[in-house]
Amino acid sequence: MNDRFEPKIVAFLCKWCSSAGSDLAGVSRMQYPANVVPITVMCSGGVSPLYIFSAFKRGADGVLVSGCHPGDCHYIKGNLYARRRLALVKELLEHVGLEPERFQMSWVSAAEGAKYTELIKDFVDTLRPLGPQAKLRRRV
Amino acid sequence: MTASVEEIRAEVKKLLDEGAVKYVIGYRNGSAGPFAAPAFFTGAGEADELVWDPTCFHNLARFLADERREDVCAPEAEEDGKKPVGVVVKGCDSRAVAVLLQEKFVDRDAVYLIGVSCEDGGVIDEGKLARKLGTAKVEKIEFGVDGGFVVTTDEGPIKIESADILDDRCVECRAAYPVVHDVVIGEQVDRKPEEPYGSLDEIESLAPEERWEFWERELGKCIRCYACRSICPMCYCDECVADTIAFAVTADTTADEKAQKIKWVERSPDNSENFFYHLVRAMHLAGRCIDCNECERACPVDIPLRLLNKKLEKEAKELFDYDVGFDPDVPSLISSFRDEDPEDFIR
Ligand code: SF4
Ligand code: SF4
Ligand code: SF4
Ligand code: FES
Repeated sequence: MNDRFEPKIVAFLCKWCSSAGSDLAGVSRMQYPANVVPITVMCSGGVSPLYIFSAFKRGADGVLVSGCHPGDCHYIKGNLYARRRLALVKELLEHVGLEPERFQMSWVSAAEGAKYTELIKDFVDTLRPLGPQAKLRRRV
Repeated sequence: MTASVEEIRAEVKKLLDEGAVKYVIGYRNGSAGPFAAPAFFTGAGEADELVWDPTCFHNLARFLADERREDVCAPEAEEDGKKPVGVVVKGCDSRAVAVLLQEKFVDRDAVYLIGVSCEDGGVIDEGKLARKLGTAKVEKIEFGVDGGFVVTTDEGPIKIESADILDDRCVECRAAYPVVHDVVIGEQVDRKPEEPYGSLDEIESLAPEERWEFWERELGKCIRCYACRSICPMCYCDECVADTIAFAVTADTTADEKAQKIKWVERSPDNSENFFYHLVRAMHLAGRCIDCNECERACPVDIPLRLLNKKLEKEAKELFDYDVGFDPDVPSLISSFRDEDPEDFIR
């Protein structure tokens, strides 16, 4: 029996690129760990900091936000707003002592099934030694 | 040198005499010892009660939110409803007004800003004062020379150096001269703090685990009284995402309303909820908090809130070259981006 810690990742994927990229990974039968709970959002620019804090509070061990590459956002610049806002979220989470590895952001296009696969594998590998995320997890 | 209270009084008197303003928000002696309290002056005769001393901590821009709400509810209710409200603003307070103007929450015409320059001084830190003086009973706190203070206790007046009791925000203040104003009392003194983010050094030097322990201990004290939010000039939302009282579910609440009104955070002062509240609040103040330090001063359990807000102020500057509250005409931090914004953290 395998009793290694399996981290749970909540991934906010934009519908137009990253979600399509993860689908491509799926239909191409690329093997990636089943640790991800994908949540499709319309655009990375629509990912409120609330979603991220909430995911951690509800027990996520890692959170990923992924959108289209700069220049490719379906809404032109949603991902550029996200880039700025989430840079602040990242700084803030680190400031209060969350392990920096637990929050990640990426650009994944609809054609990058392979990149998505790699990304998830790496994320799982980074999270595993950290163990469960208990800091922001809800206790009530 | 310090701005003269006589000049401030004269200005307030003139404004009220001429009927140029609806009323003036300023400071008066408080009932709790030597500290000033916010005051609303409606008649020229009251102007002599106005005080200006190193205990004028309050950011009076806070009251503009109430004023605006009243205006929205009853725009034509009073004959003088269209007159501006006079507000006494220090440098930091004026930057709060600049953010409110930037966000179009307040109209420039709706306020008459009586700027007061802190020159080389500023306000005191009550905690530092208490530690310095021990049990001596403080009767009066006045500005001294070279940014210092004269504190009168039951044993007579003593001189105290600026460094001993000046509030941290004033130590790190880059603009003690009001950035927006209709009139300014006091001189413009250039201040270049050696380390504008020096108070963050200690916490930033800690390992993540130690930082976590620090915040776990500090935020664990939070009783969720929301004083930090209530006193903040930037926390003007009618419904706060952290306040589930505004999201009460009754028999009449439709499924649709329930779906819209997600309860993101419990009011319970459990630490996971406290963290959520403080993380969200820090994000909502990113690029908006002008470091008046009122939240920290109001906190009944001494949580160093300034270390949260100052951190994002610093990151806004270092990552995006964004200065908070200096220009009402630029787009806000979160509603803008530059092509060269850093993305080395993105894969
Ligand atoms: S922060 Fe600056 S402007 Fe505000 S009270 Fe202190 S010295 Fe004056
Ligand atoms: S968060 Fe605190 S320091 Fe910042 S503007 Fe509000 S009350 Fe002032
Ligand atoms: S004022 Fe202090 S105790 Fe009250 S909600 Fe804010 S941080 Fe918590
Ligand atoms: S639509 Fe993909 S990031 Fe905006």
